[in-house]
Amino acid sequence: MRKLLIMLAAAALLAASLPAAAFAAAPYEAYTYNYYRDSVPLPAPFLPERAVSGQELGVGSFKDPNDIYVTNDGTVYILDSGNNRIIQTDDSWSQVEVIAEFEADGKQDTFSDPCGLFVTDEGRIYVADTGNARIVVLNGEGEAEKVIRAPESDILPDNFTFAPVKLTVDRAGRIFVVARGIYEGLMQFDENGAFIGYAGTIGVTQTFSDKLWRMLATDAQRERMQLFIPTEFSNVDIDYKGFVYSTSIDLNSQTPIRRLNPSGQDVLKRFGYYPVMGDVRFRIFGSNSGPSRLTDIKVLGDGMYTALDAFRGRLFTYNDEGELLYAFGGKGTQLGVFNTPVAVERIGEKLAVLDRGKNNIVVFEPTAFGSAVHLASAHRFNGRDAEAVEMWREVLRMNANYDIAYLGIGKSLLMEKKNKEAMEYFKLGLQRDYYSLAYKRYRREQMQENFGAFMTGALTFAALLAAIVLARKRSKGREARREAGAL
Amino acid sequence: MKPEHYKFPLHVMFHPFDGFWDLKYEGRGKTRVALAILALLVLNVILQKQFAGFVVNYNDPRYLNSLDDLQYTVLPFLLFCLSNWSITTLMEGEGKFKEIFMATAYALLPLALVNLPMTYASRFMTLDEAPFFYLINGFAVVWCGYLLFVGIMTVHQYTPAKTVLTLALTVIAMGIVVFLGTLAFSMAMQIYYFVYDIYRELIFRM
Repeated sequence: MRKLLIMLAAAALLAASLPAAAFAAAPYEAYTYNYYRDSVPLPAPFLPERAVSGQELGVGSFKDPNDIYVTNDGTVYILDSGNNRIIQTDDSWSQVEVIAEFEADGKQDTFSDPCGLFVTDEGRIYVADTGNARIVVLNGEGEAEKVIRAPESDILPDNFTFAPVKLTVDRAGRIFVVARGIYEGLMQFDENGAFIGYAGTIGVTQTFSDKLWRMLATDAQRERMQLFIPTEFSNVDIDYKGFVYSTSIDLNSQTPIRRLNPSGQDVLKRFGYYPVMGDVRFRIFGSNSGPSRLTDIKVLGDGMYTALDAFRGRLFTYNDEGELLYAFGGKGTQLGVFNTPVAVERIGEKLAVLDRGKNNIVVFEPTAFGSAVHLASAHRFNGRDAEAVEMWREVLRMNANYDIAYLGIGKSLLMEKKNKEAMEYFKLGLQRDYYSLAYKRYRREQMQENFGAFMTGALTFAALLAAIVLARKRSKGREARREAGAL
Repeated sequence: MKPEHYKFPLHVMFHPFDGFWDLKYEGRGKTRVALAILALLVLNVILQKQFAGFVVNYNDPRYLNSLDDLQYTVLPFLLFCLSNWSITTLMEGEGKFKEIFMATAYALLPLALVNLPMTYASRFMTLDEAPFFYLINGFAVVWCGYLLFVGIMTVHQYTPAKTVLTLALTVIAMGIVVFLGTLAFSMAMQIYYFVYDIYRELIFRM
């Protein structure tokens, strides 16, 4: 009997220890910011699944790869800049093709230090061939369909050198190019490769101390001062509606992420408690100090987008309202942390980050928490409120400290006119605007329901007040009469 | 509690010139009442921080501390009385410390009376009505300022211009008191650590 018990206990222990072994701890701590700007730890939304290097693909190691692009059907294109080639593979990393040279104008041609890559769903590859000062458009067979060279235009200076770095293409074939040394915005080319103009100029940011120094300086000093020029863009992506998402590295700016509409205006929603700028709480002095330096952005769909901070090696995902869903990642040598991350892409539900320092690609797999957050955000974005509430409750079951989930449930309840419950959730999510709205409706409801009781109370109160006043007047009058009588 | 205990402060509130005169020359002010007003104010501050409606309450509940509220209300009050007393003694003010104390406390009555009902009312407010909350609270503060002005003027028998001057100087004196206090405190700490170090040295060597 005793032996049996011991054996049972041992079996139970073994069974209990098995699932624990299946979980790999993430080498980073995921977090988001709450209302008070404190970073609140989260369960990891993504876990590193594997790293893919050039050797594993059988094409020799990458050398300073600069960009990666994944099309909707899961074909992965890696821009291996140091080796001047494009590596094409599928989402299972098994079939590998190398595009090292292509045919242009009947001659064999090669890239020179290309920096940016974009692939349309038809398989047309746009390459920012930086070293050759041109944009090459390859068709599926590896032939150059089009080569866009330095444009000639009245608005360009004479000594203009064309150095395209990153690019994206909309459905109509318009190309948006981030070019080095261009401060006027993104360069736009039409589908034939003709230069149209600039889009989304970034304003000059001048800090207060800059202004003060400039004011105090003499003319001679002022001439020798650095020019105040706007920041360059660092990367671009495009959503299915044709809005261009861009990042820039401007340490003084609160708006390094922009969403440009077709006329070039920034229309990003920023309804969160803090600016859409990656980390909002960081050291001001010392090592590892300063705001995030966002070098890439990827539209995830359903209003969400992920920005990559190359400085601290973190990924920030925002929803359509500009609320930070989660941040994770870091610098280091383990799987899942980075050396010099340069590009982030989405492979189905997974994320892939290209690391130039480690010459590999890290593939992240969403956890139950990450998927639930994505699904809930997608439901809410698409107006499926009932499903969204269901998912948010699932999210809260995994993490009760997640403000956005409370807000999500609150908003849905508000839509369903369950004002009292909505108030509770907005209070938990510390969202005063919506709370006030819910309360206003609730108060009106209560007033209407209890109109009879309310009016009876008010009238009784008024009558009581009048009675007291009258009684006091009469007693005063009597007193006065008595005093008069006493005299 | 006799009627004069609550009737007189209300009288001061609505008829400050008359009231503060009576407070000083008719001896109708009471230290006990002054302390009660102060206690009421502290209580109201604590209640407001804790129970004001969510829409107007921006306090982080993790850092609410009633003892802090107590000292951040009472200490500035005492600091003001002390500084005002030191300044007016040099500037031919007729008020005694007790009178300054009472006048200042009685002047705080509007704040103490308005806070609590507003805390309750704020629980039924939306963001659109929140400006009323701030308006009425602001009104109470202005009223307090006016009472304080009249109180100090009456207690010291000053002209209005001199009252403004002494109030400004009082603020400066408050700064000096805080500075000296900090200085004395840090020196006391230095001496304490000096003695403590010697003690430790002795302990290690013995």
